[in-house]
Amino acid sequence: MDVIEQILPEVQRPARYAGGEWNSVRKDWDGVDIKVAFAFPDAYEVGMSHLGLQILYWIVNGRPDALMERVFAPWPDMEEEMRSRGLPLFSLESRRPVRDFDILAFTLQYEMSFSNILNMLDLAGIPLMAEQRDEKFPLVIAGGPCAFNPEPLAGFIDLFVIGEGEEVINEFLDAFLEAKRRGLSRQGLLFEALKVPGVYVPSLYRVHYGEDGSVLKVAPAVEGVPERVTKRVVRDLNGAPFPLRPVVPFTEIVHDRAMVEVMRGCTRGCRFCQAGVLYRPVREKKCETVLEQAAGLVRNTGYGEISLTSLSTSDYTPVRRAVKALVDEYARQGVNVSLPSLRADNFSVELAKEVQRVRRSSLTFAPEAGTQRLRNVINKGVTGEDLLKTVSAAFREGWQAVKLYFMIGLPTETDEDLDGIAGLAGEVLALGRQAGVPAGRLRVTVSVSSFVPKAHTPFQWEPQAPLPALKQKQAYLSGKLKGRGLAFNYHDAGLSFIEAAFARGDRRLGAVLVNAFKLGCKFDGWSEHFSLSRWLEAFRRAGLNPEQYANRRYGYAEPLPWDHIDSGVSKEYLILEHRRAMAGLTTLDCRAGSCTGCGLCPALAAEPVYAEA
Amino acid sequence: MPRYRMMYAKEGPARYISHLDLLRAFERAVRRAGLPLAFTLGFNPHPKIAFAAPLGVGTAGEREFADLELTANMPPEEVAGALGRALPEGLRLIELRAVADQAGALMAAVDRATYRAEAILSRPVSAGEAERAVAAFLSMPQILVEKKGRRGEKKVRDIKPGILAMSARVNDDIIVVEAELKTGSSGNVRFEEVLDAFREKSRLPVEGRFSLYRTGVYAARGKEKKSLWHV
Repeated sequence: MDVIEQILPEVQRPARYAGGEWNSVRKDWDGVDIKVAFAFPDAYEVGMSHLGLQILYWIVNGRPDALMERVFAPWPDMEEEMRSRGLPLFSLESRRPVRDFDILAFTLQYEMSFSNILNMLDLAGIPLMAEQRDEKFPLVIAGGPCAFNPEPLAGFIDLFVIGEGEEVINEFLDAFLEAKRRGLSRQGLLFEALKVPGVYVPSLYRVHYGEDGSVLKVAPAVEGVPERVTKRVVRDLNGAPFPLRPVVPFTEIVHDRAMVEVMRGCTRGCRFCQAGVLYRPVREKKCETVLEQAAGLVRNTGYGEISLTSLSTSDYTPVRRAVKALVDEYARQGVNVSLPSLRADNFSVELAKEVQRVRRSSLTFAPEAGTQRLRNVINKGVTGEDLLKTVSAAFREGWQAVKLYFMIGLPTETDEDLDGIAGLAGEVLALGRQAGVPAGRLRVTVSVSSFVPKAHTPFQWEPQAPLPALKQKQAYLSGKLKGRGLAFNYHDAGLSFIEAAFARGDRRLGAVLVNAFKLGCKFDGWSEHFSLSRWLEAFRRAGLNPEQYANRRYGYAEPLPWDHIDSGVSKEYLILEHRRAMAGLTTLDCRAGSCTGCGLCPALAAEPVYAEA
Repeated sequence: MPRYRMMYAKEGPARYISHLDLLRAFERAVRRAGLPLAFTLGFNPHPKIAFAAPLGVGTAGEREFADLELTANMPPEEVAGALGRALPEGLRLIELRAVADQAGALMAAVDRATYRAEAILSRPVSAGEAERAVAAFLSMPQILVEKKGRRGEKKVRDIKPGILAMSARVNDDIIVVEAELKTGSSGNVRFEEVLDAFREKSRLPVEGRFSLYRTGVYAARGKEKKSLWHV
């Protein structure tokens, strides 16, 4: 009996490690030239909910010359069993050590999963630092939103891919194969990969520091290396590869449903939102493409729910037509349709009513701030009146539970804005009572997270509120949000503090990560595993101060550690948007037809793509 | 509505999925098979799939039973063919037949189950030694096991009346224990509890853990067991 089979019955949720799921691909190991392990640095049920994983798995396994297998961060109980028996990190499909693959590819969705990357490398028996790895180790690559500020991970990753992966993955694999055929060294291979636009090789850049220790620039250290790396964008989503046979897990995962991406990007321009910048320009799929893909997914997965995903699905031009067609087609088969992100307007309630003919869950809205003034600052194009009208309609339509998402610590926030959060929640509750929702059923959940300044956003220069202030704000709200029918929850502020330090971090934070790993940090996005004191110790040992990164106001003229990574949106535009925010001025949605001048379309020779209604 | 009984195996990677996951796996397989699955009415419709007896996570099932309802009559061969092709790795349809509408619920009929456990021995054990260990184990007046109650309090229970049969044999360095245990709503005994108690009392040199298999689930007919296939 092999070791894995002996371990599995001992751990929680062994299905996380068992593999064998429907549509998983097991290829002949010796029959392909290139083996890629896709690593998601979080638990199985988080990673398997990620569409990007399914897209890349589909593309690579669609190539006859390559295979891709999956690996997730083992939960600490599994890790302990593995370490005590000397079992290295292994892939789900062939249960081979990750070390045996040619490429180990991490996706970077969240700063607080960085500690898991180091832990996974270590568990795989791969040296943490890129410079310590030679030809016998896999090439360690990474992509995803956090690659837009890759510097904290620069020492551990051989190569980053900036932007959307659909096209670049094939070009990169071709370059890799070519390098392998020519018998190039690891260094030679990195140079070969550089020919692929969107590839950033951190070891070929040098960080120049000023006398005060600030970053002056990140510049090529060798000739022939581009000054700036520009993100990759897929121009036509209709023709882009889309996984019609995604892996269907055995065990329940976070988003346990068929996902059809209806568009990429968002035109709303919320000033705190990083995804809104990284995924520009907006590109809608044709309604027909969406319906075809949904049909394929239902047929090939058997899922009982189709989710129309995007950053803001009620903005998708043909949303009404798509929803109606899907509900008409699939309701009879017990297949539900869901819309994960709704705007607080009447149109959204209509849509929700339409999609929830089969099952009715709670409705979620994200006003983000408690007053109109602050909503204008962040450019959240929704009014309190919109929200109240919407929830009132929702209650009348039979919903009994509403969730409201807010952020605290936003730039310019005062107590009045916090009072506004409590005020809105109270008004929503009152509307529920007026609409006749039984008191025992009526539930308004207020969920509060802390503002984290992110690279490439208009708020990238803004300080995060100091940790004691964030905690005070939470306590203040907690005192105000009490009473029957109200539920208040908030994210760990300490966690947001460390997240902020890494979101704007530079290459020196690599040392902090090594310390944190040695101190046992892992699964830091899970508050039950996060330990602020360990992270503070990790910073202290590196001689760095997290406040310097999280709580400082950065100057417009100050070089930023991610200036060599080009999202396509100009810095001048981000400065302009920041200034408008401070003046309380809103900026219109570029969907409305008036270009806001972000500079992306000319810079990337890309354009918004809208579908017919 | 037309009802079908499945005899299936749950093995390989599928042995690690929970009971709830198993329900979901079948629901998805039925949908992939294009079969018209029946659902309960109400706000939260559930697929009409009923299992004979839940199987513990990690235990393989060699002959498990479940009933499933469709909204349209179809020949059993057709249902079996479509479903068989749509099942994920480790879930294997052995047989499928139509059941009469008025047939009772599978779960209510379950009375006992047979099991097999295999583990590695750290030193050679003779066939006689294994047999004697079982005989000594079964000759105890009571076999007491501790179980945590709902409120965390400890409960001591005698599982001996629930052990209907038990044997052990040795194949090279592997010990194989087989048992027939009371299963279902009254006097249910878990195989793990039996093995833990046996391991403790017999002091056989079992290394690591037992791999567990449920080899059959049965209804009672007097003192005999009766296949669920024909209940």
